[in-house]
Amino acid sequence: MRGTPVKLEGVTKRFRNVVAVCNLKLEISGGELLVLLGPSGCGKTTTLRVVAGLEIPDEGRVYIDNTDVTYLEPGERGVAMVFQDYALYPHMTAFDNIAFPLKVRAKRLRLSKRDIEERVLRVAKMLGIESLLDRKPTQLSGGQQQRVALARALVTEPRVWLMDEPLSNLDALIRLQVRAELKKLQKDLGITTIYVTHDQVEALSLADRVAVMNAGRIVQVGTPREVYENPQHIFVATFIGAPPMNIVKCKVSNNLIECPGFVKRIPGEKLQGLNTIHIGIRPEHIELTRREESDIEGVVYVVEPLGAEYIINVLIDKDTLIKVKTIREVQLSTGDKVYLRVDWKKAVAFDPATGQTLADLLPTLKGEGSR
Amino acid sequence: MIKTTTKKLIKTILINAVIWALALLWVLPFIGLALVSLMPYRGVIVRGWLRLPSLDSLSFKNFIEALANPLYDMATGYRNSVIVASASTILPLISAALAAYAFTYLDFRLKAMLFGLIIVIMMVPQQLVVVPLFFLYNYLRLYNTIPGIVLLHSAWGVAWSTFFLRNYFKFIPKSLVDAARVFGASDFQIFRKIVMPLSIPGIIAATVLQFTWVWNDLFYALTFLVSKENQVLTQKLVMLKGEYHIDWGLLTAGSIITMSMPLILYIAFNKYFMRGVAGWGVRR
Amino acid sequence: MKLGKKVKPITFLLLPFTLISIFVLYPIVATVFYSFYDKGLGSFSLRNYIDVVFATSPLNMLIARTLHSSPPWGALIHNLVWVALHVPLVTFLGLILAFLLKYYVKGSIVIKAVLFLGIVIPPAVGGLVIRFMFDEIVGIFPRLFSYTGIELLSKTWTSYPQIALFALILGSVWIWLGFAVTVFSAALETVPKSHIDAARVFGASMWHIFSKIVVPELKPAITIVVVMTVLWDLKIFDVVYASTGGGPGGSTTVLALVMYNYFARALDYYKSAAVAVILTLITVPFIVLVLRWLKE
Repeated sequence: MRGTPVKLEGVTKRFRNVVAVCNLKLEISGGELLVLLGPSGCGKTTTLRVVAGLEIPDEGRVYIDNTDVTYLEPGERGVAMVFQDYALYPHMTAFDNIAFPLKVRAKRLRLSKRDIEERVLRVAKMLGIESLLDRKPTQLSGGQQQRVALARALVTEPRVWLMDEPLSNLDALIRLQVRAELKKLQKDLGITTIYVTHDQVEALSLADRVAVMNAGRIVQVGTPREVYENPQHIFVATFIGAPPMNIVKCKVSNNLIECPGFVKRIPGEKLQGLNTIHIGIRPEHIELTRREESDIEGVVYVVEPLGAEYIINVLIDKDTLIKVKTIREVQLSTGDKVYLRVDWKKAVAFDPATGQTLADLLPTLKGEGSR
Repeated sequence: MIKTTTKKLIKTILINAVIWALALLWVLPFIGLALVSLMPYRGVIVRGWLRLPSLDSLSFKNFIEALANPLYDMATGYRNSVIVASASTILPLISAALAAYAFTYLDFRLKAMLFGLIIVIMMVPQQLVVVPLFFLYNYLRLYNTIPGIVLLHSAWGVAWSTFFLRNYFKFIPKSLVDAARVFGASDFQIFRKIVMPLSIPGIIAATVLQFTWVWNDLFYALTFLVSKENQVLTQKLVMLKGEYHIDWGLLTAGSIITMSMPLILYIAFNKYFMRGVAGWGVRR
Repeated sequence: MKLGKKVKPITFLLLPFTLISIFVLYPIVATVFYSFYDKGLGSFSLRNYIDVVFATSPLNMLIARTLHSSPPWGALIHNLVWVALHVPLVTFLGLILAFLLKYYVKGSIVIKAVLFLGIVIPPAVGGLVIRFMFDEIVGIFPRLFSYTGIELLSKTWTSYPQIALFALILGSVWIWLGFAVTVFSAALETVPKSHIDAARVFGASMWHIFSKIVVPELKPAITIVVVMTVLWDLKIFDVVYASTGGGPGGSTTVLALVMYNYFARALDYYKSAAVAVILTLITVPFIVLVLRWLKE
C-alpha cells in the first residue's frame, strides 16, 4: 500500500472531435501527493478518470507500480476515488456505504462479515466518525459526508488515491480545516495521491508537487515553491498567486524596454528578435515608497482593504492598471499619487508569442530602471 | 490486459443484439398488420405473411372496402372521430389552462381541497359515471349525440389537463410573474402574455395526449353513441370483427386506418408524448 | 384591490368546475345511489350487490363458484390474475430494459420510441393485435409453439378457455411495457453519474450496480409504475372487448366488461351501477397510494 508509483506516458483522450488530454506525460513517486491544477475544461478530471479506469485513453499508457493497467477495469487497479459530490448512496447507512466496496468483492477476497465489520470500524475510527455509522447520508453534515466518502475510499486499502475536487462542496471554514487534516492523513498513510482542483490556493497548500494544466496539456510540474517563484510560462505565472501576477506589455527598441510608466536598460543580445515583451511582477513584490527611491509612479484607482492586507489598484499609464499588495496600513484613496518600488529580483519576462518565460533575462532585470 | 476490453466488448455486443432483437419483435405485429392488409388473403393463409410479397400482388382493396362499404363505413367513423376528438381537446385545454393558472398563482380558500378533488377524479374508473349520465342524457336529448359525448370527454380532459398543466406552470420562475405583478399587470394579461407563451411545450403535450386519449376511446363511444352516423372509428373497427369468421385483410386494414391518426401525431410530436408520460415518474 | 382579486379565481375556475361538477361529480355520487336502488322493491337495498356478486353465469360472474384449474374463474379473479402477472412482468422488464438502454445500448432512442407505440395506439387496436398474433392461421405464437409440439399452444389461444386469458395478459405486456420503460428511463436520468462511477471503481459488477444502487434509488418511480399498472389492469376494457368480448365461455371477462354487459346487453342499469361501484372500491387503496406519493 505504501509508495506505489504512477506513470502516464503519451496519454491522449478525445471526445468526439474535442481533444481533452493531449500526449500527457507524468510520473508520480510513491507516497507523493500530486495536484492537477487548472481551469475548467483543462483536462485534469479526464486525466484522473484515465488513471481510475473510468476512461480508456485513445493513445498512451498508464502504469501503476510499473504494471501496465491502461485497459484494466477500474476495480482491478487497486485505486480508490473520492468524488466532488461524494457519491454516497442515499438509501444506505454510513456503515453500509463504507462497507460497500468490500461487500462487492467479499467473495473474491474471502472476507467474512466480521472481517468487513472490523475494517469498516477501523477506518471509521481513523476519521473520527464511529458514532455516525448508523446514519443515512441525508442525516449528516457536509463535512461528515466527506469523511464517510474518505473512509469508503480507504477501506479497500488502495494503492492509489484519486480525488476529484473533494473539498469544493464544503463551506469555506470547514474546507480549511479538512484540508489540513487531509494532508496529515495522506502523509501518515503514505498513499500515492492524485488530487484534482481548480483552486490554486488549495493546490499550493496540499501538494508535494503541482502539475499545472491547460487545454489538455501539462504546462509545468514542480513543487509549490517552484511554480510560484519560477513559472516557466505566462499561464502558470498568472494562474498561481492571488491576486494574479501583474503583466505589463512593453516595447523593445535598441537596448531599452519601454513599459508603461517606466523604462529599463537591457543588453542588446538578450533582446534578439523581439519587438515586444511582457514583464510580470507579483503584487506582493511591489512596495510603496518615497519618490526618490521609486521605479514607477502612478495614481490610485481604487483601494481594497482586505483586513490583513491591502490591495491597491494603481494606474501607471493612461490604460495600464497594476495591483500592489501590502500588509502595511495604508491611508490612500482614489486619485492619490503613489510611488512604487519593484523587487526586480522577483520579476519575470515572457515572450509574447509563445508565453514562455525568458529565463536569461531575469538576472539582467536587476539592473537599474528609470522613469 | 486487452482481454478485459474484449470481454467487455463482447458483453456490449451481446446486450445490443438481444435488445435490438426485442425491438424487432415489438414491431413485428405492425409489420404483420401492414402486410396482411395489403396481401391477398388466400396467400396469407397458405404461405403466411412473414415473407417478402411480390409487389403486383399487393392492393389497397381492403382499405377501400373498410372505408367505403356502407356495411363498414369507416369513413364516417373517421369523420366523427376527428370531430369528437378535436372538440374534446380544444374545450378542455382552454379551461384547464385557466384553472391551472388559478391553482398555481392565485390564492383562494378551498384551493387544496379542489385540487385534491381533481386528483381523485383522475384516478376514478370511467365506468363510474355512465349510468346517471345515461339517464340525464336521455332526459336532455343528448344521448347518441356528438355534443353529448364531447361534453363528457371534456370534463375528464379538464381534470387531468389541469393537473398536468399546473405541474408544468410550476417550472416557470415565479419571479417572472411577480415582476409582472409589480408592473401592475392583471391576471389575464399575465396569463396571456407570460405564462401561456412560456408553457407552449406543456400545452402541446397536453393537447396531443388528450386528443389521442379521446380518439382511442372505445368505452364511452359504445355507451353513448349508437347510431351509424354518429359512431366513431374505434366502434366501427370492432364491428369489423365477425362473430364466427374473421376477414383478416379487412380487419388489419381497419386497424391501420384507426391508428393512423395517433401514429401521425406520435411521429410529429414524439418528444411531447414521451415527456408527457415520463413526467409521471420524475418527482416535481 | 381586494375585490378584484376575489373575483379572479372564480372566473378562471368557473368553466372547468362546472363541467366537472355536471359530468363527473354528480354522476359519481348518483351512481352510488342507483347501485342501491332495488327495481322490484322500488326503494333501496343491497339486492343489486348480492345479485351481482353471486351471479353464476360465466359471462357475468365475479367469482366462480368452484375454482377449476383453468378459467373461467370470474371477472374479479381474472382482473387479479392479470395484476399478479402483468405488474411484475412489466416492472422487472421495464427496469432491466431502462438500465440496459441507458448504459449499454446504442440507439436507445429508437428502441424507446418503438416500445412506446403500445400506448399510442388505441387499446381496441391493441386487443385486435393480440387476437391477430395468437391466431393459429395468421398469428406468430401458435406457429412458434407448433415447433415445440405443445398441441394446445399451437392453436388460436383466444378460442380456448384454458389459455385465452393468458394470451391477453401477455399481449398487454406488449402494450404497456413502453410506459414502464419511459418512466424508468426518465427516473434514471436523476441518478448522478458519480454514483455509478464510484461503484465501477469499487469493482462492482453490472448486476451489483443494477440491484444494489440503481433499483433502490428508483424506488419512487417503481412505486408509480406499479400503481399505475395496477389501476390500468383493474380498469381494462377496450383490449378485452375488441379481442374476445369476454369469451370463450366467459374465460376472459373483466370487471369493466361485466359492468358494460349489464348496461348494454341486460339493460339492467342498476346492477351495472353496482358493478361500477365494486370496481371503484377495488381501485381505492391504490388511489390512496398515489395521493400519498403525490403529497410527499
